[in-house]
Amino acid sequence: MDSDALMATATDTLTLTQWFSPAFPVGAFAYSHGLERTIEAGDAANSEQVGAWIADVLQHGAGWNDSLFIGAAYSASAKDLCEVDATSRAFSASAERLKETQLQGAAFCKVTGEIWAADLRGLTYPVAVGRAARLQGLPLELTNQVYLQAFVSNLAAVAMRLVPLGQTEGQKLIHALTPLCCTIAEGAATATLDDLASSSFVTDIAAMKHETQYSRIFRT
Amino acid sequence: MAFCPLDVRTKNSSTRQEDSPITRLADISSHHATQPPRAKGTLRVGTKMVGDRSVLDDLHQAGSFRCLFPKTCGAAMDVVLLNTAGGITGGDQFTFSGHLAMDTTLTLTTQACERAYKAQPNQTGQIRNRLRVEAGARFNWLPQETILFNGSALDRRLSIDLDPGASLLMVEPLVFGRPAMGEVLTKVRFRDRIEIRRAGMPLFIDAMSLAGNVQAHLDKPFIGNGAGAMALVVLVAKDAERHLATLRETLPETGGVSLLQQDVLVLRLLAEDDFTLRKTLLPVLRELHGGDLPRCWMI
Repeated sequence: MDSDALMATATDTLTLTQWFSPAFPVGAFAYSHGLERTIEAGDAANSEQVGAWIADVLQHGAGWNDSLFIGAAYSASAKDLCEVDATSRAFSASAERLKETQLQGAAFCKVTGEIWAADLRGLTYPVAVGRAARLQGLPLELTNQVYLQAFVSNLAAVAMRLVPLGQTEGQKLIHALTPLCCTIAEGAATATLDDLASSSFVTDIAAMKHETQYSRIFRT
Repeated sequence: MAFCPLDVRTKNSSTRQEDSPITRLADISSHHATQPPRAKGTLRVGTKMVGDRSVLDDLHQAGSFRCLFPKTCGAAMDVVLLNTAGGITGGDQFTFSGHLAMDTTLTLTTQACERAYKAQPNQTGQIRNRLRVEAGARFNWLPQETILFNGSALDRRLSIDLDPGASLLMVEPLVFGRPAMGEVLTKVRFRDRIEIRRAGMPLFIDAMSLAGNVQAHLDKPFIGNGAGAMALVVLVAKDAERHLATLRETLPETGGVSLLQQDVLVLRLLAEDDFTLRKTLLPVLRELHGGDLPRCWMI
């Protein structure tokens, strides 16, 4: 909370914008979190259904839980970071979900470590983000907000490509889900890893089923 | 200070009362009188190897938590957990701890489904299960379904500490209400956390926190899509990968299986009700258990 008492400087904001821009080489565009499977099965065939899918994953799945991992990594000592990262791995609902967080995390560590001279290695994505934000002295809640919006934007991009949704429809979706990103970041600010909770069961099963999907564009 | 084993002094009774021995009755506070009795149970089981058989090494039972030891012909030890209170409600506390010594096999189940009954406001039932499994030991955690009644409030934790080389099969089947009675879960508090560690580090964690109108939540297409029951299965074993293809073929559209690590397999299953859940779950558990399930599951 202390960190958020500080106002974000312009540089803070722009650093976060850079980290979570689609141009930042973590390869986010390659992962669908299982949404590709749901679309393939015909269960997310329009903007409304895709919006419900993303909202559920945000509130009752990776959105909420990643925010907690970002927060835990942010406040962890270098010694405790390993335990936070192992918890994040252990909380993965499927092999592809694990892959998604490991590969993006590894890429984030590599690039951020080189550019900002930060000691980051082999962490899962939210843990890497939380640790990097701490090392750069970025405000935690803002970090969470931008992270969550990037997560939403990425899933909206998946839907634009696969459903397909029009560009404006996709942007409308992101706009509609932005307040939820703020609510979750606010709730996560006072929560700990004891509050980990996942109930987006159907999306978890979709992520498992994606492993054997015959024709696929996304890695997860 | 004078020693006073039964302190009869209260705020309102500063006068000496030695000659009126029944005044203590007046001190029974109405707070205690209105509280229904609460069930508490503690159970501890330990195993050891004798020859090539796993046998009981340590047993402690207290309160409403008991266990039975059905005769087995194999090398494994079977234990059936028994909640003599007949269910769990707000304020109840059940604690189970187990220790599996090196190379032993323990299969644990429950005699019946666990029922989480309606709780008083602000009261929560608590279940704490903790196990330590030594190298070469195998723990089968195969309880029958936990049924959440409307109005129930339950906080449950299962913590399993594996030594390197230990193996585990666990299932947690969960049923949301009793639809045959027209019950809908509109007011429930349920917190559940399953934490499996290996060599002290987290290996697999599952956690859920459901509150309020749980059925409305489960009805949402990407939460439970109307599910009335669900199960989580985890297998930690050297040959976990061997089961992946078979299970993928067995599972319906509402179930998924995944290999998180070469020796860690996780399976999640949603079902319309307890009957359809069992129909899929039984063959899955038989495949992973490598044989028949404990008899309680069959009757």
